[in-house]
Amino acid sequence: MALSGSRSTDQASSEKISVRNLSRAYESTQALDDVSVSVTEGEFCCVVGPSGCGKTTLLRAIAGLETPDSGSVLVDGNPVTDPGLNRGMVFQEYALFPWRTVRGNIRFGLDRPACNCPDCEARVRELIDLVGLKGFENAYPKELSGGMKQRVGIARALAVDPEILLMDEPFASVDARTRDHLHGELLDIWSQTEQTVVFVTHDIDEAVTLADRVVIMEADSGTVQSTITVDIDRPRHRTAQEFIEYVARIRDELGSLTVPTEYSQ
Amino acid sequence: MTLQIYTSSDTVFANSFESDLQRYLRGLGGLLVFLFVWWLGAVTTQPSYLVPKPLDSARAFVDLFVTSTTIAVPILGTRLLLPTGLAHLAQTLFHYVPGLLLGAGCGVSLGLAMGWNSEFDDWLQPLVRALRPIPPLAWVVFAIVWFGIHHTGAAFIVFVGAFWINFYGAYGGVNGVSSDLTDAASTLGVECDRSMLKLVALPSAAPQLLTGFRTSIGRCWMIVVGAELFGAPGVGYEIINASNNLAMATSVAYMFLISLAFLCMDVGFRVVERRVLAWR
Repeated sequence: MALSGSRSTDQASSEKISVRNLSRAYESTQALDDVSVSVTEGEFCCVVGPSGCGKTTLLRAIAGLETPDSGSVLVDGNPVTDPGLNRGMVFQEYALFPWRTVRGNIRFGLDRPACNCPDCEARVRELIDLVGLKGFENAYPKELSGGMKQRVGIARALAVDPEILLMDEPFASVDARTRDHLHGELLDIWSQTEQTVVFVTHDIDEAVTLADRVVIMEADSGTVQSTITVDIDRPRHRTAQEFIEYVARIRDELGSLTVPTEYSQ
Repeated sequence: MTLQIYTSSDTVFANSFESDLQRYLRGLGGLLVFLFVWWLGAVTTQPSYLVPKPLDSARAFVDLFVTSTTIAVPILGTRLLLPTGLAHLAQTLFHYVPGLLLGAGCGVSLGLAMGWNSEFDDWLQPLVRALRPIPPLAWVVFAIVWFGIHHTGAAFIVFVGAFWINFYGAYGGVNGVSSDLTDAASTLGVECDRSMLKLVALPSAAPQLLTGFRTSIGRCWMIVVGAELFGAPGVGYEIINASNNLAMATSVAYMFLISLAFLCMDVGFRVVERRVLAWR
């Protein structure tokens, strides 16, 4: 099965992440307003929306980096209060430790007492191979390009073998060609590791390329507008008719909200 | 790609060698002009002790290493026979080094604590603002009544000087730790504050910490000489002592010695800094 088809439909759909009536306000802005989302085990779920719609806050709440004002996040039925090793996070600006080499960054999570890998060094080698960074083990982040940095970011998050991978616009600062490569690699990795992925992006093409399901967030109000299941076999081609139709549908969903408010102003 | 790096660095090397040579020659020129002006000033002013001649000063400098002096080693209580210049330098280092290290240690600790814990910061911020502007040498009166004029008193003044510079290095460094990095660390299993400090805050603040320490090396040399002018033994005291005998050339020789000692420490520390911060 590997890359073709949507994996979530092959498995008995069990709920991995459940976001219930989540609200979070910052000073004057309502980042999240009564948001409920559910993600199935093994699903690749993209969250799209314009900048400032609260999608990053949603992701950070699932990671346990953000305390909601009300509502809750459940992972495997357990409420999330703190960050945990079962949820790995990949950051938009990489957030690599600049004083650590590629190897040192990837090892970071493996060096914690909570880790129980039998041979950490072998695990690091395996991850370096997986993300295609062989030969750069001893390079510092400053010596790497944006795409390579994010490969390290992904490997570092995968090192502790999380059940959930949370990605916050990970390829937004990467050039278009590298982004296409990374999409393919990410889907490869996902098909090998069977993780549940929540991927935040403002790029509709990216969401349709990657996702089993796209959660569309509304601009400004911090609410979920709708959810669309993307039923195209992988690998997906941007020029295919159905791909273009999905992109148009999502753009309509987003546009139908923003246009009237623009007129009303 | 690697080939490109080599060729570009080759040209950089050739260029930098040429400009380096030019830089050295200009520097040498400036030095010679200065020596000439100094010599001119020395031969034209009377009485002659007002400005000692460059050559006399150089001779006095050599003398520092020809004659020898016995000094007492604190704590160990033994006596040591060394060339005069080194002997007095050692006396200075007996209070300079402990004062610097202890001051840096305490300053960094408080800076880390206040930079990391905002409640602690709230408690101590007004106090810090009140105490910080006091020049270290103003503490000399307390150094005298608490510790007496000797190594301990001078070390105390150096301690005060080193304390604040390192305090601000650590405070600023820890305050500037990016929340992205602490977020990343906490999703990777860093749970307690102590691990976060050790694994993220400290290495991230290292550049500012080291800059703070390097600045304090220089500042403490100024402070230590000031402290010794009040009577603690060492090179600063010898400057005053020589001038009391109108041996101004000897005073100049000790001034050179201080400059040399500071230069060695600064260059040495820069090497360490470059190694530790290779990732930058």
